[in-house]
Amino acid sequence: MTTLRPILSALRRHKIAALLIVLEIALAFAIVSNALYIVVGRLQRIDLPSGIDEPGLVLLQLATAGAGRGTVASAQADLAALRAIPGVESATAINSLPLSHSQWGLIYALHPMRTFSGGVQAPVYFGGPDLLKTLGVRMLQGMSFPPSAYRDLTPQNAFKIFVAARQALITQAYAKRLWPHANAVGKIMYMGETPVQVIGVVSNIIKPYISANAHDPGNYYAVFSPFRAAPDLNAWYALRCRPAVCPRVLKAAAGKLQAMHPTETLNAQESFMHMRQRYFRNDRAMAWLLAGTVLALLAVTAVGIVGLASFWVQQRTRQIGVRRALGARRVDILRYFQTENFLLATAGIALGCAAAIGINVWLMAHYAVPRLPILYLPIGAVALWTLGQFAVLGPALRAARVPPTVAMRAA
Amino acid sequence: MSLYHLRLALQALRNSPVLTALMVLALAVGIGASMTMLTVLHVLSGDPLPGRSAHLYYPQIDPRPLGSGGNANPEPPGLLTYIDAENLLHQGKAARAAVMYQGGDVVQPPSGSALHPFVVNSRLTGRDFFSMFEVPFRYGAPWSAADDAGAAHVAVISQKLDRKLFGGADSVGRMLDYGGHSFRIVGVLAHWRPVPRFYDLNASRFGQVEDVFIPFNTARALNLGIEGSTNCYGRPGKDLDTSPCGYIQMWVQLDSRRAAAAYKRFLADYSAQQHAAGRFQRPPNVRLDDLMQWLAYRHVVPDDVRMQAWLALGFLLVCVVNTVGLLLAKFLRRSGEIGVRRALGASRRAIFAQLLIEAGMIGAAGAVLGLLLTMLGLYLVRRQPSGYAHLAHLQPSMLLATLALALLASLVAGLLPAWRASRIAPALQIKSA
Amino acid sequence: MLDMRNVSKIYRTTTVETHALRDFSLDVREGEFVAVTGPSGSGKTTFLTIAGLLEELTHGEYVLDGVDVHGLDDNQRSRLRNEKIGFIFQAFNLIPDLNVLDNVEVPLHYRRGIGAAERRRRATQALERVGLSARVRHYPAELSGGQQQRVAIARALAGSPRLLLADEPTGNLDTAMARGVMDLIEELHREGATVVMVTHDPDLAARAERNVHIVDGMASGIIEEPSMRPAVRAQGEGAFRIPGAED
Ligand SMILES: Nc1ncnc2c1ncn2[C@@H]1O[C@H](COP(=O)(O)OP(=O)(O)OP(=O)(O)O)[C@@H](O)[C@H]1O
Ligand SMILES: [Mg+2]
Repeated sequence: MTTLRPILSALRRHKIAALLIVLEIALAFAIVSNALYIVVGRLQRIDLPSGIDEPGLVLLQLATAGAGRGTVASAQADLAALRAIPGVESATAINSLPLSHSQWGLIYALHPMRTFSGGVQAPVYFGGPDLLKTLGVRMLQGMSFPPSAYRDLTPQNAFKIFVAARQALITQAYAKRLWPHANAVGKIMYMGETPVQVIGVVSNIIKPYISANAHDPGNYYAVFSPFRAAPDLNAWYALRCRPAVCPRVLKAAAGKLQAMHPTETLNAQESFMHMRQRYFRNDRAMAWLLAGTVLALLAVTAVGIVGLASFWVQQRTRQIGVRRALGARRVDILRYFQTENFLLATAGIALGCAAAIGINVWLMAHYAVPRLPILYLPIGAVALWTLGQFAVLGPALRAARVPPTVAMRAA
Repeated sequence: MSLYHLRLALQALRNSPVLTALMVLALAVGIGASMTMLTVLHVLSGDPLPGRSAHLYYPQIDPRPLGSGGNANPEPPGLLTYIDAENLLHQGKAARAAVMYQGGDVVQPPSGSALHPFVVNSRLTGRDFFSMFEVPFRYGAPWSAADDAGAAHVAVISQKLDRKLFGGADSVGRMLDYGGHSFRIVGVLAHWRPVPRFYDLNASRFGQVEDVFIPFNTARALNLGIEGSTNCYGRPGKDLDTSPCGYIQMWVQLDSRRAAAAYKRFLADYSAQQHAAGRFQRPPNVRLDDLMQWLAYRHVVPDDVRMQAWLALGFLLVCVVNTVGLLLAKFLRRSGEIGVRRALGASRRAIFAQLLIEAGMIGAAGAVLGLLLTMLGLYLVRRQPSGYAHLAHLQPSMLLATLALALLASLVAGLLPAWRASRIAPALQIKSA
Repeated sequence: MLDMRNVSKIYRTTTVETHALRDFSLDVREGEFVAVTGPSGSGKTTFLTIAGLLEELTHGEYVLDGVDVHGLDDNQRSRLRNEKIGFIFQAFNLIPDLNVLDNVEVPLHYRRGIGAAERRRRATQALERVGLSARVRHYPAELSGGQQQRVAIARALAGSPRLLLADEPTGNLDTAMARGVMDLIEELHREGATVVMVTHDPDLAARAERNVHIVDGMASGIIEEPSMRPAVRAQGEGAFRIPGAED
């Protein structure tokens, strides 16, 4: 049986090497726990639900040239033609899409405001009566706009009309933000000094661009307004279809639009899944990069441990032989080195915890990185303990194979 | 440093090939990772207009009404309203000045072309844009001051668009159908790719410059659409240009500090005057950043890139500590030999020097391998989806920096172990402990 | 106590086979003090490594304190070493990283059922026995050769072994220090320990009850002056006691 005290006193005689291992493990621990946290944050962002029924949604955007083109009237004709394509279940125009990077935003408050600052910002979605159905957003409370409420938004009146809507649907998250304890339906909120009545609450839908923090409830703030949108305001056409037929629908729709507008051009045609993938590709790339770095870092740390431990074993060959002669079993020798490594790793992890928290505080101050959850420290600790044990296994096994005769025959 | 030392060092390295290889590899990985990220950082935080950037300024004023205050950004907005842009342009005394915004619309290929209509981005600005930023021309020249004043239907196009529409021929004098209007081409740009695309940071920061340039006044007269951001801080009216909405960027060239100070005073005076007239509600709140300050203020280098650079440096630190440990092991393994050398008359200095040379050789090998890994790393970065990815190329300065960093890292890593090993007492026999 | 019959040990390297011991037989009884002498390279150390279960024999039989060591696995051999044998080496073999007390405690760490307090008590007692109680906190490098060897003896004693194996215990010491160490070993023997000691020094060998001379891997029992007596093969039970040895 080994006890810790002799191991510690032996380590005290090899301060520099011991300190180096401790330092290396501490650095690795601090960096790995923070990097892992960032990786997980990114992966959580990538996995955020959009609130849309994603698989059956395809999108097209027509770029129009010149005044009088791509108007609401022409959009109605386009939509009628698109609905006639076999496989299309519903179709709508929409001013901006979740995760599309481009948003129309307004600020609403509970009291009339002389300026736009001071309320809670939300993206505004509008397009027409089929909007909710096409996206797959559900009415939770209240009701949707009556067909007569919809007005056309044109490049000429957009700025004036857009801010003058008197009725709105809001998402559950936004309702909860404005009226945490009350039913939002029927309540009045203010866009500047204009009162806007909430006539319904709908299921959450994600913003056109979201904050770095995956858990930010603001990612799901949204307001729906009763306007019809058209390509002249960069609106999209969104089509709902059965996922299996969507690729064919998209192709047919593109062909039809191009045929109807030979002088215009299709800016985009893609599935929502594709748009989503594009939105998060930086996050995915960053997650991969960090994960790769973490692995490389762990590999380098392991190499360091193997190197120093091998040296140690070699340096102590004689005393290992003596221990064996005095009755140590192979497994005693093995355990000696494993315990030693465990002690060094523990010291490194303790030091690393402090460093990890320090790095996190610094990252929080300079970048959009939230506080490191305490859970990551034990995870990192287990990772480095395991790494240390694996790394030391080779040298320790070599040590255990040192024959006891070494004690008799001076090498 | 003698030849003898070099030979000894080489021999020592060859004596423990696995340990040596591991050290070189670990160092190279650290060098590769950090140089990859530092190169990206370097490219992104570079000066897009070396030599001129110190004289280019971005004026900001604050026309926002008094708000509930608390959570509003105290800095003036980054975009000017049409009224303020016009006023600053005509009242300010700058060597050169240009207002601008980004548009985007469809280009109709000339009749007879097999091309489909396609969408391009445009920059709607004044003629000073080209001279202020020293934009190179392949054919023709910027439009004239009279074109600016008279809202002439003229355009400058990019080399890329010229190739696409006219096969790269001199298209000056030909017509461009953009957004349903006809423009006479007066110039074709040569290749121009400022990194970052500093003049408008609201749009793609590391993207290409626009394909079409049209006089600002012409664009406003034709009401050409705005592709960039529009920020309203009050209720917009029917006409955007009389609404409290900012959408215009402005750049001025000020050739001396004195001129810059005077211009900043002018901005404050203008604000005070607007305040007095009741148009501005806030007391004067102005900024006048030069180009590099503006880039820093707007955090042009993505946070991800900065974080990656820090991470890579941390990684390098781990690699250096690792190398310290391995070198220590390597040197102390030879305690016996070193003791005998000391007994045979080698001074501490000589031992120290010999071991440091050994460390340096590992550094040199690590540098070469690290350079290869850096190139591999940059290749991988270029395959990333981010907007700046394609800019990640190794520059000569970074190449030298890589070599220097590797050598420095290995020497720093060698110091402690070499010092420790040089303290080994002289001994007349090789004893095993 | 120690019964070897027809033991041979062959070291095989890629090029040569060395017969370090051939057909070697020796019986050491409980409480005996045997000195093993012989020219360099004759196989003395080899004999000790086999007697001490540090190596396995190639042919023959070896019964240690009633246990036939043939077929024991490494763990069982380790345990036997730990419980029955105390080693004293020419090069002392103290562990440089540990202080005197910790060194003496080493074998006790590998014995089951001994707590820290008991370990401490036994080690302190063993150090008192060799007269080094004042130096428990010293490290080996801070001791003279004689002191180091006394610590090594204390370490061998601490486990209360039945058999003490010593390979040239005085080989690295000057005469005065060597005498002190020898006195200690003799004292231990008087107290009942079985001692087998390899030595080059005829004077030291003479202090043993019996001398075994090894030539070329084979043992011969010798009475008194090794050089003056004809070599007699010592075969198993036929090993004889040295008359006149102090008893
Ligand atoms: N591991 C080994 N491999 C090969 N040959 C060995 C090995 N160990 C010992 N020998 C050989 O066995 C023979 C006996 O060696 P041993 O060490 O037992 O001699 P010794 O009597 O102790 O000599 P000395 O008085 O010099 O210590 C020698 O010829 C030696 O070379
Ligand atoms: Mg010998």
